[in-house]
Parts: sequence; structure tokens; C-alpha cells
Amino acid sequence: MTKVLGIVNIEPSYVKVEGIEDYRPISASSFMGRYRVIDFVLSNFTNSGIYNVEVQVKNRPRSTIEHIKNTDYNINTKRGKIRVLYGEKPVLNEVYNTDVASLTANLEFIEETDAAYVILAPSHFVYTMDYQELLDAHIASGNDITMLYQNVTTANEDFLKCDALEIDENGKVTNMYVNQGKVKRAKISLETYVMSKKTFIDLIYAAKSISALYSFSDALRDTFEDFKVGAYLHSGYAACISSLNAYYKASMEIKEAKQLDKMFADKWPIYTATNDTCPTVYKKGAKVENSIVGNGCQIEGTVINCVVGRNVVVKEGAVIKDSILMPDVLINKNVKMTKTVVDRLAIVTHVKELNGTDEQPLYVKRGDRI
Amino acid sequence: MKKNNMVAMILAGGRGSRLFDLTKTVAKPAVHFGGKYRIIDFPLSNCANSNIETVGVLLQYESVLLGSYASNSQIWGLDMNDGGVFSLSPREKDEANLSVYKGTADAITQNIDFLDNAEPEYVLILSGDHIYKMDYDKMLKAHIEAGADATIAVMEVPMKEASRFGIMNCDKNDVIVEFEEKPKQPKSNLASMGIYIFSYKTLRQYLKEDDKKADSNHDFGKDIIPAYLNAGLKLQAYRFKGYWKDVGTIDSLWEANMDLLDHSEDLNLNDPSWKIYTKDTLSSPQLIGPNAVVDDAYITQGCKVDGEVHHSVLFTDSVVGEGAKVYDSVIMNNVKVGKGAKLYRCLVAEDVKIPEGVTLGKKDSKEILLVTKKVVNEVK
Repeated sequence: MTKVLGIVNIEPSYVKVEGIEDYRPISASSFMGRYRVIDFVLSNFTNSGIYNVEVQVKNRPRSTIEHIKNTDYNINTKRGKIRVLYGEKPVLNEVYNTDVASLTANLEFIEETDAAYVILAPSHFVYTMDYQELLDAHIASGNDITMLYQNVTTANEDFLKCDALEIDENGKVTNMYVNQGKVKRAKISLETYVMSKKTFIDLIYAAKSISALYSFSDALRDTFEDFKVGAYLHSGYAACISSLNAYYKASMEIKEAKQLDKMFADKWPIYTATNDTCPTVYKKGAKVENSIVGNGCQIEGTVINCVVGRNVVVKEGAVIKDSILMPDVLINKNVKMTKTVVDRLAIVTHVKELNGTDEQPLYVKRGDRI
Repeated sequence: MKKNNMVAMILAGGRGSRLFDLTKTVAKPAVHFGGKYRIIDFPLSNCANSNIETVGVLLQYESVLLGSYASNSQIWGLDMNDGGVFSLSPREKDEANLSVYKGTADAITQNIDFLDNAEPEYVLILSGDHIYKMDYDKMLKAHIEAGADATIAVMEVPMKEASRFGIMNCDKNDVIVEFEEKPKQPKSNLASMGIYIFSYKTLRQYLKEDDKKADSNHDFGKDIIPAYLNAGLKLQAYRFKGYWKDVGTIDSLWEANMDLLDHSEDLNLNDPSWKIYTKDTLSSPQLIGPNAVVDDAYITQGCKVDGEVHHSVLFTDSVVGEGAKVYDSVIMNNVKVGKGAKLYRCLVAEDVKIPEGVTLGKKDSKEILLVTKKVVNEVK
């Protein structure tokens, strides 16, 4: 089998998930009741038979490190490993905290592997994909670099600030621009790239020599003339968790039964850490509809169209609609809530109504008592 | 915390024939319970939470699945360097031919070499088929304080039921003076829970002696405990208060599952200081559909509900189709309840597919209906 090094990238500067990111990167935040966002990319790697994976982390890495340590991603840990790499060098200004800086700091760990190819994948996207397929297509094409992309028809609302590709009739990428949300149709880059390890390292050096602020995607943009850069279409579900809105929207979309079956197919398990929580109790008088619920909850009130994390308590008379409750949240009696994202360990008691809007869900901070 | 120098031996070799088809291919301790658990998770988690590091699991009937499950020590955090969960099936030895375990005591006798290697000061004997939460470390402290040779956990049972149990007659200090197995006229209501702590050195000697007796049943209750009493050794009763249930029959297994809803204050599995651990599955979170009614229900990950669930427990990956109605039932792993089907007071065995529209069980039946593939084929 061809040896591949999987690298999970740090999130680019356009990712700003209001509130949630004050406590941990979005990749480490709770998702769909029992997962973390990063479980998707890591499960993609290991399900694809790629057992050497390096996870780049930057600010507040505790949550990510702990989660990865506690999760069995189903690899032979003697033959492979999941490594967490920290950029180490303190940066005076966040703009210097680029993926290239992080990759440069850890270059020796990339160079020392015997992998022939590198697949760089983002930690803030949610999709399932067999990377072996991507690699095979890359090798067959004779490309120097192959970029994964998605045909999007809602680019005016989704994937804002993401890279969009222009692809010519021969399938060659000719240009990359930032999706400003002005048009509906775009070929959105899923920020997943495959190339030889040599090309990968060359690009890191090139980026570094041009500008200290250059990101890997900036470096890629400079390759279209001299390199053969191809594109590979991903046709399943994909979401970019780059804002609170996007987090909310992706959760609500995946929650629907049809999508759920696709994202959590038996053949493509998503691995995550267990918390040994007992099953959920729906008490007499509870009313729950169209919701995803984690284990360990106690539901007495009404929960409609929600994503509910582990160990959440919803007391009698509370009515929660179209909302996301992260793990360990307590909603006390008679609280009414719509379109709200409640972060971990928050307790809602005295505010009787919390209403987000279609444009912007409301956010309740981690550990807040309101 | 430093380990407490006690090795636990879990008796898990029984077939549990009163569970009928549920134990046709698996040993009773491996039977699923409470949505996401197996019965043996309870003693194993209790061991882990009680500061015990080495556990032997005595296997006989259908030992492969149970043995490979129990050997995953890390599930219960029992994977420390000099500890672990060890599967102990009958084996051929240099000095003895392969022989089944002839009784509960013989199962331990045949593994004296295992215990000798572990060098414990105390041995805890447990059953692999009881549902309860208990701190064995506290019991050990009581054993040491009393200066007992053996300590037996007991609990008060209603006097009219006492003749179903092994009954301990004690003096005023709870020192056991007499043991009666299922007495017709019980003198006390202190029932043995089948949980014993022995000081190992003495136990080893008595096991060796018992092994030589041709007329012995090689059983703790019938032989070892009476031998201790005859010799005037000190047997102490240790009173346990709390939830405890032997889930040996379909009715009692159903009832123990229902206790998770009806007596959650007694059998609370949501206590972070005393978790019950089990092997995690790769199931997605539970999905409660747009047409679902979940009213007084205990539901775990992987379940998909779009029908009605009333006063029932759903196990991992079970599905209740649209319009189906489930009342007072226990639905085991990976069961599919077809659209519009109705279940009353059933215990549905794992992997069973209930066809659309059928009705099984009765609202006010005295007994619980065990629904197996065979039962389903008959109603089709």
C-alpha cells in the first residue's frame, strides 16, 4: 500500500465561531450530541487506512489533546499513530499564527516519515470521504497536486470566505478566489489536498520565503501556472464550520434522518471518546420530537427540533425549540427557548425566554448561569 | 490510590437456563441489560470503583464471547500494569486432565495457581449475574475490622420470601452462627447475596481439603461455608442496603430493566462517582423522529424512534417504526419494531424483527412475553 501521511490543518483566519471559540478551537467543540468536529476528519483518515496522522494545533489545545488521547480511532497503534503537534514558537501577533508557521515548526516530523504522499485536510470541515479514492485519482491523473472540491449551489449563504476554484475543461485548476457570497454557484475547495511529500515540503519553503503571513492556500494559489494542479469532486454532504451560524446550520441539516444515515453509515464509522454515560431518561410528560439526543440526559420538558448533547437536563415545563444544547447543560423549569446555542455546563433558570433569529442564533456562554 | 491487595473472582460459568433463548448462545453474564450494558459490567465496574486491580472471570458455558469481552480490561479501567481482567476457563494441566468446574468452589480450586501468582491477602468471590452497585472496599474494611476469616454480604429480604434464599442466622454482633440454604421455616431474613470475602491463606487450605473429599459438591454455600462454621472460624455478616437483583428469569430481568424507570432513586446509573462502564459502540446518537412519543422511556445511543414508546427500555441500535406502539416492554439490541406493530409487556430478544402491524403480548398479562425469532415466525 502506498504510504501516506495525513495532516490535519489548523483552522484558517476566516474561521470565527462567535463565543464557542473563546474556549476551544471549533474542531474540538461538541457536535451532534456526542462527537467533536475533528472526529470526522480523523475517522476519514483511519477509515481510509491512513494510520499515520499528524494533528496541528494552535491556541488552547487542551480540549483537542484530551479528546484525541481518549478516543480509539481504530488503528494499529504500533504500526501507526496520531500525533498532536503544537507550533511552539510564541507569536506576538495572531496574524503570524498561520498553518505554514505551524507546519514549518514541525517540519522534521513530516520529513522523517517514510510516506510518499501527504494529504492535508482541514479540521473545521465536516464531510465523509475515502481518501484512498482521492489518492488513487491523484496518482492516475499525473497531477502534481489534487484539490478536493464540492459543487455548491448555495454559495451566497454557505462556505463564505472559503476558497472557490476555477477549473478548465481539462480539469486543471486555473484560479482560486475567496467566496464573498455574491453568487449561488461555486466550486468550493474543501481545503483537502493531496501531493507528494516532496512537493508538500517545497511548498512550505516557498510560502515561507515569500511572506511570513502566507498560508498554505496562498502558496497553492501561486502554483497554478507552473504545476499541474487538478481537482477532485466530492459529491456527498459537506459543511464548513466557520461561524456560529454555520455551526448551527450544519447541526440542523445533519440531524435530519436521511442525512444522519449517510453521515453515520455502518461502513464508515465516526469514532469518538466515550464518557460512560448511562442511557437517556424521558420522564412521564416529556415531549420530544425530531431531535438528536446524546446519552445521560433527563428530559421532562418539551424538546422539538433540537440537537441535545450528553448529560443535559431539561426540567418540567421548559420548551426548547430549534436549539442546540451542548453537554452538561441544565435548563430549569418553564424556560422557553428557540434558535439558541447553549454552550457546555451552562445553567438557564431565571431568563424565561431566549429567542434567536433566523439570521443569527443566540449564544449562551460556557458555564454561564442566567 | 494504592490497591487493596484483594483479588476478585467472578463466577460467570453458569448457563442461566431460566432465561431460555436469551442464553442459547451466550452465557448469562453476557446478556445485555439496561439499554447499553451487559450484566457482567456491574460486578466489573464495582471492582474498578472499589480499588481492585486484578479480576479473574471463571468461565464455562459459552466462554468465548464472554471471555473475549471481559478481557478488554481497559473498558473498566482495570488495565493497570500489574492488574487486569483474566478469563479463566477450565484447562488441561501437567498434573490434571481437562475437567469442567464441578462447583463454585472447584472453579476457584482449579485456579489456585492463578491466585498464588497474584499473591492476594484477600479474595472476593462474586456472581456474574447480579445487578447492584456496591463498594467492596468498604466491605473489606469491615472484614479486617471484625478480624473475620470470611465475610458474607447479606441483605434483609421480606420474611415470606426468605425461604427462596440462603439465610444467615447471626448473633447480636452479626457473626454468623448458622447457614441454611432455602430453609422451609426461616429463622431470619438475612439473605446471602453470594458475595464473599475470604482471607486467602485460610481459604486456600479449605479449598485444598474440600478438593480431596469425594462426597463434596465443591460449592461455597453447600461445602466451604459449612466447613468454616464447623471448624469454629469467624464468619461475619456484612449488611448491604441498596438495590440488588438476581436477574435469573425473564420476569426478573424485565423487572430490573423497568426499575431503571420506576426506581431510579435506587438504581441510578447516572452517578458520576460510581459509573457503570461498558464497551462503547460506534452508534450515532439517538434520533427521536417527528412522529415519536417518548413518555417514560429509557433510550440509548443508536436508537431510532418514530413511533410511541411508553414505560419501556430500548437497547442499543433498536428501531421503533412510525405508528408502532411499545408499552411496558424491554426491547433489546438491534431489534426492529415494524410500522404500526403493538407490543405489550414484552421482552424482545436481540436482532428480532417485529413485522409491521402485528400485536404481541397483553396489556394485563401476569407474565412477560419473551419475543424471539421463533415467536415472530409463528405470528407471521
